[in-house]
Order: sequence, then structure tokens, then C-alpha cells
Amino acid sequence: MSNLIRRDPRAERIARNRLHPLHASMMLAEQGEVRGPSGLIRKNPHLVGFIGPNGLKRIDRANAFAGTVNRQKRVSTAQEVVLPLHQVVNPDGYIVVVPDMVGGRLTSQDKDILGLAHSLIAQKGTGKSANMAVVAVCFGESKESQFDLAGVDRLIHLSSDVFDGFTPEARLSALMQVEAQYQPEHWLFPDSVNGGTDLASRLAARLGERPATQAWQVSTTQTVCRGASASTDITRETPRILMLLEECGTAIDETRHEVLSLSVESYDQVPARLLDKGLMSVDPNAVPLAEAEFILSAGNGIHNWDQFHECASVLGATEGASRVAVDDGFMPRTRQVGASGTWVTARVYLAVGISGAIQHMQGIGQCGKVVAINTDAGCDMVKRADLAVIADSEAVLAELTKLVQEHHASKVQEEKHNAA
Amino acid sequence: MQPSVNVVSLVSVGRHPQSDRSRRADQDARAVELGLKLAGKNLTLVHAGDPENPVLRQYAGMGLDAFTVLRQKSYSDVLPIIGNFLTENNAHVVLMGIRAESGESSGMLPYLLAEKLGWPLLSRVADILHVENGKADVLLALPRGQRRAVTVSLPFIATVDNAAKDARQSAYGPGIRASITVLDAEQTADNMAASWAISPAKPRAKRMKVVKAKNAADRFKAATAKPVGGGGNVLKQGTPAEKAQAIFDLLLEEKVIR
Amino acid sequence: MMFDWLTPTLIAVLLVLAGIGAVRRMNLWRAGQADKVDLIAGLMAMPKRYLHDLHHVVERDKYISRTHVATGGGFVLAMLLVVFVHLFGVDSKVLAWLLLAALVMMFYGAVFVFKRRLNPPSRLSKGPWMRLPKSLLTFSITFFVLTLPAAGVLPEGFGGGLLTVVLSFCILASLVEMLFGMTWGGPMKHAFAGALHLAFHRRPERFGGGRSTGLKAAVLGETSHGVAKPTDFKWNQLLGFDACVQCGRCEAVCPAFAAGQPLNPKKLIQDMVVGFAGGTDEKYAGSPYPNVEVGNAKGGPDQIITDGLIHPDTLWSCTTCRACVEECPMMIEHVDAIVDMRRFLTLEKGDTPNKGAQVLENIIATDNPNGFSPSSRTHWAADQNLNLMKDVQQADVLFWVSDGAFDMRSQRILRAFVKLLKAANVDVAILGDEELDSGDVARRLGDDATFQNLAKRNLAILSQYRFKTIVTTDPHAFHCLRNEYADFDSDLNALASVEVLHHTTFLNRLVQEGRLQLDTFKGGKVTYHDPCYLGRYNGEYDAPRELLASLGIDVAEMERSGYRSRCCGGGGGAPITDIPGERRIADMRMEDVVSTGAELVAVGCQQCTAMLEGVVEPRPVVKDIAEILAGQLIEEAH
Repeated sequence: MSNLIRRDPRAERIARNRLHPLHASMMLAEQGEVRGPSGLIRKNPHLVGFIGPNGLKRIDRANAFAGTVNRQKRVSTAQEVVLPLHQVVNPDGYIVVVPDMVGGRLTSQDKDILGLAHSLIAQKGTGKSANMAVVAVCFGESKESQFDLAGVDRLIHLSSDVFDGFTPEARLSALMQVEAQYQPEHWLFPDSVNGGTDLASRLAARLGERPATQAWQVSTTQTVCRGASASTDITRETPRILMLLEECGTAIDETRHEVLSLSVESYDQVPARLLDKGLMSVDPNAVPLAEAEFILSAGNGIHNWDQFHECASVLGATEGASRVAVDDGFMPRTRQVGASGTWVTARVYLAVGISGAIQHMQGIGQCGKVVAINTDAGCDMVKRADLAVIADSEAVLAELTKLVQEHHASKVQEEKHNAA
Repeated sequence: MQPSVNVVSLVSVGRHPQSDRSRRADQDARAVELGLKLAGKNLTLVHAGDPENPVLRQYAGMGLDAFTVLRQKSYSDVLPIIGNFLTENNAHVVLMGIRAESGESSGMLPYLLAEKLGWPLLSRVADILHVENGKADVLLALPRGQRRAVTVSLPFIATVDNAAKDARQSAYGPGIRASITVLDAEQTADNMAASWAISPAKPRAKRMKVVKAKNAADRFKAATAKPVGGGGNVLKQGTPAEKAQAIFDLLLEEKVIR
Repeated sequence: MMFDWLTPTLIAVLLVLAGIGAVRRMNLWRAGQADKVDLIAGLMAMPKRYLHDLHHVVERDKYISRTHVATGGGFVLAMLLVVFVHLFGVDSKVLAWLLLAALVMMFYGAVFVFKRRLNPPSRLSKGPWMRLPKSLLTFSITFFVLTLPAAGVLPEGFGGGLLTVVLSFCILASLVEMLFGMTWGGPMKHAFAGALHLAFHRRPERFGGGRSTGLKAAVLGETSHGVAKPTDFKWNQLLGFDACVQCGRCEAVCPAFAAGQPLNPKKLIQDMVVGFAGGTDEKYAGSPYPNVEVGNAKGGPDQIITDGLIHPDTLWSCTTCRACVEECPMMIEHVDAIVDMRRFLTLEKGDTPNKGAQVLENIIATDNPNGFSPSSRTHWAADQNLNLMKDVQQADVLFWVSDGAFDMRSQRILRAFVKLLKAANVDVAILGDEELDSGDVARRLGDDATFQNLAKRNLAILSQYRFKTIVTTDPHAFHCLRNEYADFDSDLNALASVEVLHHTTFLNRLVQEGRLQLDTFKGGKVTYHDPCYLGRYNGEYDAPRELLASLGIDVAEMERSGYRSRCCGGGGGAPITDIPGERRIADMRMEDVVSTGAELVAVGCQQCTAMLEGVVEPRPVVKDIAEILAGQLIEEAH
């Protein structure tokens, strides 16, 4: 459905023609009397007028189009845009991208690299050498449903369970097989902590290729890389294997791609020398403050410290503190957030009883969502917060603890139910 | 720990991000710290480069009486000599930083060493819990403070993540008194790097929000509209329970409570 | 008389024993390191140092100064005469009468000592010290009675056997305390060690009204750095520790002690004595380190001090404010000892607590404690239109900016000061990015290697330019430049003919020369906080007060002001090592401010400003004197 206002010429005609047999009933259906609680007839002001074809509201004093008003419910579902399909038939070469697929989905860095792969192909012009396909190699379970929109022409999905978890050796041998089978023109990896760098380095070492690392400006001939802990730019010839920084290219957004499956013949099953023992459960308070994802931070406004610690453990949050709370000896110095303490990068920062000294605000500059609980509605922390609650912290924390406990309890119930 | 485990920490000359001055490289220093935890004073500290560099004293100042320098000119390939040194000295655990703070900082050295020696390699190690019976239990650092446990057989190479224990303070006295063993080694020039153009890093432009609007009204709106999200939601009214619910909903939405 | 021989024998035996004890004690001191001391000159100067310098400090407590003159003077005179009259049997009525007079004087003093000890304040040590007034009284009474026959008041042989026995016992009791105890570790040790300490003091410049506050340079490149064992101290430092009278004045003024941090200067000195003499602190009878039990500390001359004798936290609690040194009647140098021991912890053990290691690493790598880019040092002055020495090569005044350049709060002070300089048309230049950290923090944290490195590099830069005066707004940098750089300046003579001034001194001159037009200050009540490194370290108490007076401000003095000013808690790297206590020093200092009823506290130091402003509001406003002055400046209309 489109959200264009469409006229109904028939309804308009009937509305204009008072002699039309359907005129009375149609007008009545639209403008039925509404009586208020006192028995008086009420006019609904919102029904006055209609939206004209140019999107502006019009009041029809002549009442000529009354019959069509609001006949059309405005439908606000997004218009499904069908992008043009980019097809590569019988490609003469491949550029292989090995995305990180954090949580089974393409990251923005992955998408940028896919976009870069296409721009490399585009730079080659229109000749035969430019008839190349971008191949994505994914390991393990994939939840990604939009490979087509991200620019994947061909997909090699290796979903065998030998790739589950931490399996760089198995993945490397699979990549070696891809190399043997398809001899890609380029190997593109994200230069990231999510495994991209590791796998790329392994492949480069195995193939004896000298890769470009921390690359951020890539053309078919020349690559600019960061060197010396990002203090220098190294300009060099574009090698076969590239590890790319974030925002190295622009993601695809105007075409759809085929996502045709490519197969990989059997590859060597190497005996694993690295045995994955799984993820460790990490105590939130053992996570370094700078890395913590969710921080519950306490300031001068906290009086019930036992409750605060309990709340943090129930929420599974890492504890932080303002300078005053640390100075007063309620929290260790290592927990101090701010310019003279730790600069934090939490996705959610829950500040309880912190009014927000400038040094503290500096320290939480990189946080995602900030939630404040404070009694002073005028303080800087409330101004900064995405959600601020003006209340006594003790009562709110008590309720919050209760809510989360109930949440956990219901989860456990559900699981039991499912298991039964 | 076990005296039979031969631990080697490879160190490089770091670079301070603010002053450009030589310093103890952060990750390398953590590699020394981890080495000291595993081997104590028996840790072998190795650097390939100029033995006169005063920064090496900072590593020794962490509590080592001696260290080894494989004499190299700058910009030469250190892979062959380090590989030979490790096999000759029968190393079991080789620790180093992920990437050097100067030069190319490609981080390829550990991988090339592992490939050359045929040893397993672990990158981004947060801690080595213990080394026993030819195996080591290692914790890998994942983003957001998460950890993965991995067992690996000796000998192996590990790169040390920033999440590993902070390097201890370097003491001046022991540092200047430590003795250096200098081994002269064959020089292998790095020819490929010679063709590179190296310049100070250009600041990268922050990506702009590109608006691909089809009509003028939308482009106008995108150019002039105030970004959404200025000023958050302030809850003044309501019971504590309602307020807590609002916070709870946000936490659920952000998936920090599971 | 049958017991005629007894008195002289007792005296002789105890004198010999005391002599043996003295030799033994001296050998303990001599286990320390050699130090260049002019022995003869020191001994010659000793009486004057005692009567003038030491007494000047004791005089701050009138009660005890009079008491001590009577008791101490009486005893020294009496003891000399006792030797003549009773040991050598010199038969002279004059001497006997003199002795009687001395004993009366001593008795008079001892009564007051006795009175003080009836209900002693907590800072005084108890234990054997409670016995001392009784011993003093016994001595004076006994010898008074013994001397009466010699003076002809009583007949020879008066009193018979019983009295003689009683008197002999009393002689023994009092002489054991006064002679034997003097050299074998009793309370009277202070007289013996104290006298020699005055003679062989490590800082003779302090006598005669001088000031010597710069730390002594560490010798680098030896097999060990700093003081690890008691014997690593200089011999005269060990002697100094022995001079302690345990009066606890240091304890009463120590900010760390008041804040409940594990430091008590008196106990520290006593632990040093335990260290070089060997043994435990069981017998210590004064206040302990806050929250640390007495009796568990063990030490020996060759044992590492921080292994069992003193916890490193004790050493790191010190703010190097020098209040204890200023107050010590025996002129013991606590701060020197503490920094000496810190040097070992930092340079040898690499064990500077909390942020210390990081700060030192930053100073080494970036020449400032917070690791800022050295090329951003002059960013604060981007709009100040200041000359750089690099460009002008010479100027009347070099403004030493110090690390406040990186701190946004301190920059306000710097700008205010520049505004004043411009108003007075001073020919001024700064070093800009060539300036380095003064090394103050590194040195107080025990890293003398880094300090010396910075000092030499700073001096090398300074020697390139010509200027008559260095002015700085940072008393810490001021102290380093004025008192500590000279040790490294012998080759370059960069500062040889240069006057180093604190900005308050310099501004005061400008005001007195009439080069600054200032309006009267109409704010509320104002008090002034003396920065330790300006006051006690450099003796500048007047200039800031005169400046405030020139604005028409009548300073409401705090109880602890001038040389008794209490530290803000920001010195000696204390905020970096951050040893936990029960209170914060800055909070206590702010209480002092509040108790004057002042609305504004004037300060002369960026560190003090930062510490006092760190106190939770509401509190009085904190401003540097330069800021107050700049606010009252009458600018000529152009």
C-alpha cells in the first residue's frame, strides 16, 4: 500500500449529488451525530477538513467532499523498495571477503568491506577483467538475512560444527581450500578484535603473502595503511591480502545481489592443537571498568551501600563510582569514573546519586545510553541522561532490584516449563 | 612455576602516543609481566635491535638480572634470527605484544614465527593460568571483558592483549645494573618495505550521515533538522515502582538484562 | 664515716658505665654512611645552636621552655659541680654553694616537669618518660642533702647510717637514670644525642636563622639506591633519630596523622631508632600510627626497613609538608628520612603505590605527570600573546609556567597572572614547549633519577637565554628552581645570578612600586592559606598578606597559619599515592577555613587550589591571589 492520498471519484460524485440515492446514507455514515455525556451534540474538530492531494490540510467549507474525508485510512507501512538486482554471470574472478559475523550478523565494518570490494571491482572498469564477483565466507551459524542488500554475490557458508567456537585452525584450512579452488584476486578481512585480524594473519603467514594491515584507503593499485600504532601512514602497492579498518569503504545501499551459494570441496581436517574450552562466565566486577558494557555507578546520593551492591549484582552490572564516593571510602579508587579515574565506554551507564561534575561527565563521554537517578532535576547528569528519574535513589533501587529479580524468576519458570 | 618450562618474552621499543618518544611498549611489557608470572627470574628477555637502546633497561627494571639482544640494524627483517634463537634455546612459551608501536606494526611476526617453527599460536591472551605436562591453560581476551579458555600444547607462541595484567613498575636501579648478552646475527634487509612511502598519519574524516533523498523537501529536512535525541526523558511524577519500571524497560531494550 | 667512699664510688662507676654506653652508642651511629661534617666547628658551634636555634623552637611553648632552662641548665651545672665536689672531693664552700643553687634551680624546673606529667597531653610519650620527673626530683633532693655538709650548713657525718643508706640508694636510682640512662637508651639519651646532633647536624645552614629545605641529591648508579636498611642512612641522620625527646609536637601538626593515615612522625623516628639499635617497638609508649598496633615491628641495622619495621604505606602517607620538621625542637629531619626510604622503594623495588608508577612513567615519557602531549604545553597561552624565549632570547622576567599549563583550573591562575604582568608592563617571556616538568613530583615520589634528568635538561634550556628573574605561580616548581637545582647547576651556572621568585613576591614588588592600580576588595571575609612549599620551604609568609592588605583586605587568620599552616594534602605526591585514611586532609583544612567565617580563601598555589576546590560544596570560594588581584585591577582606558 502506498500512503498517497487517493481520491474516490464515486464517493465525491455521490457527495455532490444530493439527489443520489446513496447520498443520505453515505453522508450519515461519515458524520453520525455524537452526543456528549450531557446530551449535547458534539462536533469532532479532527474530522473537520481533509488532507489535500498536496499533503496540506484543507477545510472544505462548501462541504463538497465530505463524503471522502477519512475514507482512506492513512497507511504508514514503509514502502517496500525493490532495488535493482546486480548480477554477475560466470565471473572471471573473485574477491573474497571474510566477515566477522559477530553474533551471526554482518557488522557495519563487514558491510563497509563488502562495499569496498565492489568499489575495487568498479575501478577495474567494464572490461572482461571487471566481471568479478564478491564472495563472502561465513563460518558457523548465520542469522543474517540481508546478504543480498549488503552486496554478497556469492556466499560460501561453512556451517559444519567443526567451525563452532574458537577454531582458527579449521577455519584456516577451509580458507586454504577456497584459495586453491577459486584463487581470489583479493582477500579482504576486517582488521578487528573479533577474529578478523587473527584469521587474516594466519592465512597470510600460510600463503607467504605480505598483507596490508590497518588499511583504510584502498584502490586497485595503492593502499594506505596505518603504521607505528596509528601514527604514520604507509602508502604501498595493494597486496592480495588486506586487513581493513572501520569505515574503509561505503556499504552497498542501492543494489541487490544474488547471494548464490558456492561450494567448497572437502578440505583437510587438521588435528586441532588449540582446544576450545568455551567462554568463561565473568564476574561483572572483574571486568575492567573501561571495557564494561553496563555500569551501575554510585555517587554522593547513595546512603544504603549494601543495597547498591546488591542491586549491582542482581542487575549483573559492573560497579562504578564518582570521586566523592571514592574519597569518602565507600568504593575503592579503581572504581572511580571520570577524568582522574577511568574513562568508560559502557553501552548503558546507570548513574545513581551523581550530580555530574565536569570531570565525571568527561569520563562518560563515550557511553551509549545514560540513565540517571537523582533528587536534583537541575543537575548536569540529568541534563545529559537519556532517561532521568527524579526520586530518592533508595526507593527506586529497591523497586528495580525487585523487578529484575521477578524477571529472572519468570525466566527460570519459563525454562522449566519449556524443558517439561 | 616449573623450572623446566622455558619462557621467552620478545620485546620491542615502543613509542609514546603523545610524545613520540621511545618507551617500554605497553603490550610487550605485559608480555614480560606474564613471563615473570610463569618463570620468575628465569624468564628469557629478548630484543632484536640496537643493544644500546636505553628503553631496554626499562624492561630489565621489571626485575630481570640479564637480557639478550640480537643485534640488528633498524628496518631489517628479524624473523630469521629470532626463529633461530628460539629453536636453539629450546623455548616452550614465547610471549610478545600483538602489534609493535613503531615501524609497520603489522602484527605478523608471531604468525610468521609460528608458521616457520610449526608451533601453534594464540593471539590476544589475557592470562596463562598454568603450564603442566606439556600443556598450557590459557585465557583469551574477547571484547567487553569476556574470556575464552583454551588449552594448547607446548611449545607455543602467544600474543598478549591489553586486557592482561598491567606491567609492573620498572625500577631504575635493577634496570641499569642488568647485564646484556649481545648476539651478533646475520642481517636480512627488508626490501619490500624500502619501496613504501611513509608519512605522518592523516586524520581520518569522520563519516558523515549521507542522506540519499529523492526530493528536495527531504534533503532540506535532513540538512536542517535538529538531530533526534537532544534532551532525554525526565520522569518527575509517579511512584518509585513506575520509575523503576521505566528504567527496567530501557535496560531490557538495551539488552543489558537478559 | 664508714660510707665515705660510697658516694664517689657510685658516681665514678656510673660515669664509667655512661662512658662505655656512649662509645657503644656512637658505634651504632657510625654504622651509618659517611657524611662530610666539620666536627670541630660543629662542636664549637653547638652551645650557640642550643641556646639560640633550638631554644627558639622550644620557646613556642613558653611553659616548657622555662621548665627546660631550669631543669636542663640546673642539671648540667649541678652534674659538673657534683663531679668536682663529690667525686674529686674539692673542698670549696663556693663550689658547694654554687652546687646548691644549681640543684635548687633544677628542683624548681623538675617540679614543673612533674606537674606537666600529672595529666600529660596525648602527644607526649608515657612509659619511662613518666618516671623522668621523679628521677629529676630525686637527683636534686639527694645531692642537695649530700652537699649541705660541704657547704657547712650541716655538720659532717650528719644523720648517721640510716640516712646514708637511704641517700646512697637515691644516688644510685637518680644516677642510673641521669648518667647510665643517658647513653644506654633512657629518656635522658636526648641530652647526649641531642647535643651531638646539634653539633653534627646534616644541614648546618639551618642554624642562625638560615633555611635549608632542598632535598639532598641521590647518588645514582651504585649497587643500590635510597635507604633500604638503617645503616644506609648517613651516620648523622642516625644520630638525629636518637635525639628525639618524644615530645610529639610533630604528631600534633602532622596532617596525615590527623587524617588517620598510618603515619606518626614521632613513631617513625622511634622506629628508626629501633631499626639501627635492633629490637622491637614493644617499649614504645606514645601514640601509634593510626589504626596500627604497636609491638609487631621488628628491625635491625642490616634488615630491610620496609620488611617488618615500617609498612610502606606509612612512608607514602607523608605530604612532605615539613610541619614536623618546622616544629621539632631537636631539629630532626623527618622528610629527608622519608624521601630517602621512598627512593629505595621506587628506584630499587619499583613499588610506588597506586597511580605513582603511571605518573612516573608519564613524566619520563612526556615530561608531565598526566601524559599530555609535550607539544600542547603552550596551548593555554594561544590567546595571551606572550613572548617565547626561543624568539626573543632575553627578557627581564622569565615566567615559569609549570604543569598547571595542562590543567584548565590552573590556567585561570596563569591567565590572571599574565594579565597583571601586562598591566604592569613587565618585559616577560615564557619557555613554551621547551619547559619541562620541574621534577618535584618525581623527586618526592623517590624517583631521583628522573628528577635529576629533568633538572639537568631544564637547566640546559635555561642556560641558553638571558633573564634576571624567574617568576612562577607554582610553589613546588619555585622550590625546585630555587633550592634544589643548584646541585646540578655547577657546570652551566644557568641560575647562578638569577633571582627565583614566587608570583606573590613579585606582584608585591610591583604593587609597592606602584605599577599596578588596584581597586579595594569589597567581597566578604577573606582568609589566607599558606602553601607549604611557599611558607615553610621558602619562608615567604609576608608577601601574600601584604598583597591582600593592599586590596584593603584584613585577613582573618586561621588558627593554623604561617609556619604552622596545615597542608592541603596535595604535596609530596600524596594525592597520587592516595593512602586511605579516616578523613581527607583537604576536608580538614577546609574546616579550618570555615571556622574563620571566611567566604573566600586566598591561596598561592595551584595544587592547593585544586585540593581545596575538591572539597564538596557548599564551601568558601577558593582563589589564587593572582586571580583576586586581577579581579581588582583598574585597567586604563585606551
